[in-house]
Amino acid sequence: MCKDMEVKICLIGMGNVGTCFLQLLKEKRDDIRDNFNFNCKLVAIFEHDGALINNDGIDLDNLLEDYSNLRKNQYWKSNVKAQGNISTLDIDICIETTPTNPNTGEPALTHITEALSNNIDVISSNKAPFYLQYKRIKNLAEKMNCLVKFEATVASCVPALSIKESLIGNTISRIRAILNGTNNYILSRMTAEGVSFSVALKEAQELGYAETDPSLDINGYDSAGKLVILSNELFGWSKSIEDVKIKGITKITPHALELAKLDGYVIKHLAIAEENNLIVEPRLVKRDSPLNIQGTLNLIELRTKYAGSIILMGKGAGGFEAASAILNDLISIAKQRRDTNRNLR
Amino acid sequence: MIYLEVKLPDIPGSLIELIRPVSQFGGNIYGVLHHHDKKMNNMIPVDIWFELSEELTELSLENIKKVLIEKNIQLIKISVGSKNKILTFILTGHVFDTDITDTIKRLDSKKIKVLELHAKFTEVKEISSVMMKVEFPEDMTKFELIQEIEKICKEKNLFLIRS
Repeated sequence: MCKDMEVKICLIGMGNVGTCFLQLLKEKRDDIRDNFNFNCKLVAIFEHDGALINNDGIDLDNLLEDYSNLRKNQYWKSNVKAQGNISTLDIDICIETTPTNPNTGEPALTHITEALSNNIDVISSNKAPFYLQYKRIKNLAEKMNCLVKFEATVASCVPALSIKESLIGNTISRIRAILNGTNNYILSRMTAEGVSFSVALKEAQELGYAETDPSLDINGYDSAGKLVILSNELFGWSKSIEDVKIKGITKITPHALELAKLDGYVIKHLAIAEENNLIVEPRLVKRDSPLNIQGTLNLIELRTKYAGSIILMGKGAGGFEAASAILNDLISIAKQRRDTNRNLR
Repeated sequence: MIYLEVKLPDIPGSLIELIRPVSQFGGNIYGVLHHHDKKMNNMIPVDIWFELSEELTELSLENIKKVLIEKNIQLIKISVGSKNKILTFILTGHVFDTDITDTIKRLDSKKIKVLELHAKFTEVKEISSVMMKVEFPEDMTKFELIQEIEKICKEKNLFLIRS
């Protein structure tokens, strides 16, 4: 890739993650050019009610000055959907950050498959397409000789998926992880204060750590989805969320937590992948275990054959956290394309 | 705990050939027992038991076995000891109303011994919790133990939280 090479991208979904990504892209564009020798040209932004498409490149400075500029821009077209239009764009990478249905994976799944089918590399922060249709997406990417990256789907900015590259000389035999900050916050508060589940949940909602409808978190579905993606990537499996044995945290009582304390335990909501099994359930964990993290943090413990445990920990949610993971994926794709001499468009 | 049973030639220095690799790969030796009374063809059965770091047990044990085989030491039996045969778990739900004695008896009928039991409850009819520490037999896997406990939980609508 020469100094003047351009990587042309489109962004689908300008919500919190999408907006943070654009801010980060603006902030880091000089670094990217200087350190990785490419310029990133944003060609299109799709929103639910229209699209901004400019093949000469969208002016990020103007757009980020005032988000209402998106729909005031001369290139804005109302009622244009991403679906059916991705193939018409002259782009290298499609970045997908739309709000997505957790049970169907739509509309992200359609966007991803449409991009791949048209020989466009994909980056997504959406979990659902990958815990529902992992094999299909990977097979399509392989067939089309495309790259698909989704680091932000598991523990956000924590390099849970890309760690695989750093451990290619080792063998991972087990994953134990805390993948849902909401649940970990609730259990941390119940343990520390002896409050009931409902009180801790209400507190989490007031602080913005839990959704108004927290069912996907507290019933374990969110953790299960992330575990599927993590284990598929690290173990080379092709599982879906239906393969996970899931138990939530709603039946944990202050009494149970008190009993656990008696024997030096705490209760943590763990996601475990081992011996071809996927489990999400509350487990007793020794108080001095590295798994005993507090608050909304995420943690991933990899048991390896040649180096014992390796632990990754960090913030598992947040706009800029996810955006930084997306930018990592973007740089990684550009570097891979340069290394394999596949020309960008 | 790892229990290793080998046969060593009854000559000076043979024991150190056994102990060195165990120590070299992180084994914390708890005991060595010579069975001189069972000596045959100048070979003595020797038992050694030691602990390995949990995280590296598999790798260390493989390395120890490899070195012992290279040294022509005859391995008779290797087993992982009772440390892995104890499980702590909590049951939440109508633990007493569904007859805790029956739960313990049913575990006992499968040779699962309840070593400790702690309880928290307000009223018998209310949701309560018990924590049990159980020892399960050598020939039962942890998976089989969990299955036995889950069977009872399903029938009595109890929620299991295990270590």
